[in-house]
Amino acid sequence: MGDEIVSSVLVLISLGVAVYLVAVLEAWSVGGRFRLAGPAYAALSLIGRESILPRKSDRLFFEAGPVLLLMAALLSVAVIPLSPDLIIVDLATGALFLNAALAYVLVALIMAGWGPNGAYGMVAGWRFLGQFIAYAMLIVMPITAVAMRAESLATTAIVTSQEALWNIVYQPLGFVLFVVAGMGLTFLPPFDLPIAKGDLAGGVEAEYSGARLAVLRLGRMVLIVAVAGATVTFYLGGWLGPVFPPWVWNAGKILAVSAAMLLSGRYMPRVREARYLAICWKLGVPLALVNIFLVGVIALVVPI
Amino acid sequence: MLGARDGSLTGMRRLVAAAMARDLTVFVVPGSDIAREHGLDVAAAGLRPVASPRHASVLLVVGDLPAELRAAASVVYAQMMRPRALLVLGAADRAPLPAADVAGALSQQGLIDSVTRLRHCFREGAFREDAADFTAPALQTRVEYTCPMHPEVVSDQPGSCPKCGMTLVPREAAAGSGHSGHDAHSSADDTGSRKTPDQAHMGHNHAKQAHTEQTEYTCPMHPEVVSEEPGSCPKCGMDLVPAENKHNNHSGMDHGAMDHDSMNHGNASFMSMVDVTKDLPRSGDELQMDWMKVAFGPFFPGLPGGLMLTFTLDGDTVAEASVHGLAREADFPTPNKIDAAGFADRLAGLEQLVPVAYRLLACRATEDAAGTTVSTRTAQGRIGALERERVVSHLGWLALTGQQSGFIWLAERAATLQAQVRSANVAEIANLKPAVERLIDRIRGTGLQRARLAGLGRLAPHSDLRGPVSRASAGTEDARNDDGISPALGFVPICRDGGDALSRMLVRLDEIAQSLALIAAAGAIELPEPEGTTDATGHGTATVETPRGVARMDVALEHGKVVNARVDAPSTPHLALAATLCRQHELGDALTIIGSLDISPWETRL
Repeated sequence: MGDEIVSSVLVLISLGVAVYLVAVLEAWSVGGRFRLAGPAYAALSLIGRESILPRKSDRLFFEAGPVLLLMAALLSVAVIPLSPDLIIVDLATGALFLNAALAYVLVALIMAGWGPNGAYGMVAGWRFLGQFIAYAMLIVMPITAVAMRAESLATTAIVTSQEALWNIVYQPLGFVLFVVAGMGLTFLPPFDLPIAKGDLAGGVEAEYSGARLAVLRLGRMVLIVAVAGATVTFYLGGWLGPVFPPWVWNAGKILAVSAAMLLSGRYMPRVREARYLAICWKLGVPLALVNIFLVGVIALVVPI
Repeated sequence: MLGARDGSLTGMRRLVAAAMARDLTVFVVPGSDIAREHGLDVAAAGLRPVASPRHASVLLVVGDLPAELRAAASVVYAQMMRPRALLVLGAADRAPLPAADVAGALSQQGLIDSVTRLRHCFREGAFREDAADFTAPALQTRVEYTCPMHPEVVSDQPGSCPKCGMTLVPREAAAGSGHSGHDAHSSADDTGSRKTPDQAHMGHNHAKQAHTEQTEYTCPMHPEVVSEEPGSCPKCGMDLVPAENKHNNHSGMDHGAMDHDSMNHGNASFMSMVDVTKDLPRSGDELQMDWMKVAFGPFFPGLPGGLMLTFTLDGDTVAEASVHGLAREADFPTPNKIDAAGFADRLAGLEQLVPVAYRLLACRATEDAAGTTVSTRTAQGRIGALERERVVSHLGWLALTGQQSGFIWLAERAATLQAQVRSANVAEIANLKPAVERLIDRIRGTGLQRARLAGLGRLAPHSDLRGPVSRASAGTEDARNDDGISPALGFVPICRDGGDALSRMLVRLDEIAQSLALIAAAGAIELPEPEGTTDATGHGTATVETPRGVARMDVALEHGKVVNARVDAPSTPHLALAATLCRQHELGDALTIIGSLDISPWETRL
């Protein structure tokens, strides 16, 4: 029992550090300046600024949206192992739980978009619904193939199943699909429709200010870490690696994946949700089925 | 600091104020494109640009604004969260904005100095015991009293209804009318709403929006109930929702600017979406959705600064659009007071986006009136200046396109090159050429960018079209054919026949490359000054191919003074086109289409 508390605390501390570093990377990818102290100043000044409730807002949704986003992201972090022992809850159904927790991201964003009763936020919230329909299957289906190989839904078992060969090599198709869907889920550029600046003046974020905005942004940062963590767990062998202790490997991989996801968006224009839907359903879902089939065949024929 | 937040500057607040001083977020008015045209690099000066006034701590006003935009800027200021500061660069008249916290010269050095002073302002004055309030005149409201049963009964005083004796209920009415409410952001409120007690104190001045035009109010359930004033429905007691006036009633129905929130309060009974939308006209996608009117301008981050754009959205499809530029006629002084040089200066000052092209236009027109001809050398130097401005303008368009589409790399790279080319001489431009060409190649090779633009806003060849827009639709007209110099320097019009937003981008990319070659061929860059116009009398005409298309001018000189002038600017026909072109498009596509036309809202009509 004591060990579990210690490991939970350790995971939360490392989550805090990771979130901070991802915030530095995010500011770098958007603003083009690398400032280690940037997020600290930004957070402090957000907390010090007024945070008003727009008139005629749906107060419940307005207040609950950012908090729900943060909660959903934190819940999904709970099943991501930092090392064999450093995990908040090692659920037998971890991969499924992750899916379930991430589903609330949609709810949170629609609430946050609807709440302030502003057109930009509302359009952005509903656009995310379109985006959700695009990426949702491509989160679930690649995870299915990963679980097939591991013969388990437990995230720790999924990592140990990759001891001989990481899944990025074993099922590269699934990796690509999962990353594309994950970037849609975390609304990173080029799939940043819900918070698009040039399109919707900030979209869901447009009417939030002060501490509420800080929570909304924190939620997204935790979400990015969670999805990067899931990618590492499912495809990059989690804590596996020589010489360094397991948690170093895992942390390094998570930061590298976050950085890659954040920086790649700089070089592409935003993708409309209609186009994203078309890509995901016409191309992505068939490919995900092919991936499941191939993994099934390989798992039967070659035992690695 | 005028926009300080309530509270004493002690303890934790001192720390927060210090953090704020290091993390200044800025909302640029009239827009980042205008700031770039003036050579400002906001990020390099240490300010972080944001897209929503709610996220900004500094409002940066760049240059002189017409009254219409100043009113809109005051609304933006009111929407900002305290502590907030107002930074004005190079503007004399700023009413109804409050006094500037920091004012500076309109240059990068002026901006950098101002930022230092702003940081000091925040460190020392972010919190104050006696924080002042600010209410934009466009947002002021008054309370009036009306009968719940007889909405036509309106009184300034509380009392009872003369018709039924019921007690009158208070409600808010906007004081302003006209265009004052065109704020950059459709703030999260609608017109004429009632303040609930728990929100009244929190809303301050931030959360109000004035009438943008005359609206009438109707009940979502009983369309026959129409009132000129907001209130509640006499049949069911629901809040009336604003509906657009029937000025062009082509569909036989009002497009109710129905706001989703109007439906879920005011009445305890369940509101069915199907009921609410059943009588609304259907858009192209056959889905029935909420209709709402949303302002995208004049300070929308993805559009040219100063462009007034209002969409009536049906879901996220554009059902109606209204686009207009700034009415600039009034700004122009009676021309007979100024000589030709002063006239050229004045016109160049008004045309913030392409000052050189209009200066050249004024020079050519006045010289034509005076009957003087300039030397080939001067003419070539002028071509050099005009072509440099074309490169700068097209790069600025690319930067804005990148900003609108979230293509961050493009936005940054194009803005950097724009700033470098802006003041470069012939040799420096030759050095920059490889970098510009790499940018062009890179954009051409970005499949997602092509896919985003292909097929959007297709225009058939038409005589009203001008400039790159026309030449992307198989037009061949280019005033540079006839200027007597450009063809000799190797100019040939660049034409494509796609007619869509992609073709327009490709034409501009080719024109950048061609203009660089023309500058090299011209071998000089010389700012146009009118020659030989002193004491001349006569009539003159001139044309110049500005980066947005041909501009024409008629001018009359009397003893060297301009007595009459008429300008035909290229964005005028495109403005008229924009509204029709984006109808029935998805919102993002509609914005892309408007962006692809490269409209300048600043062009003068004389």
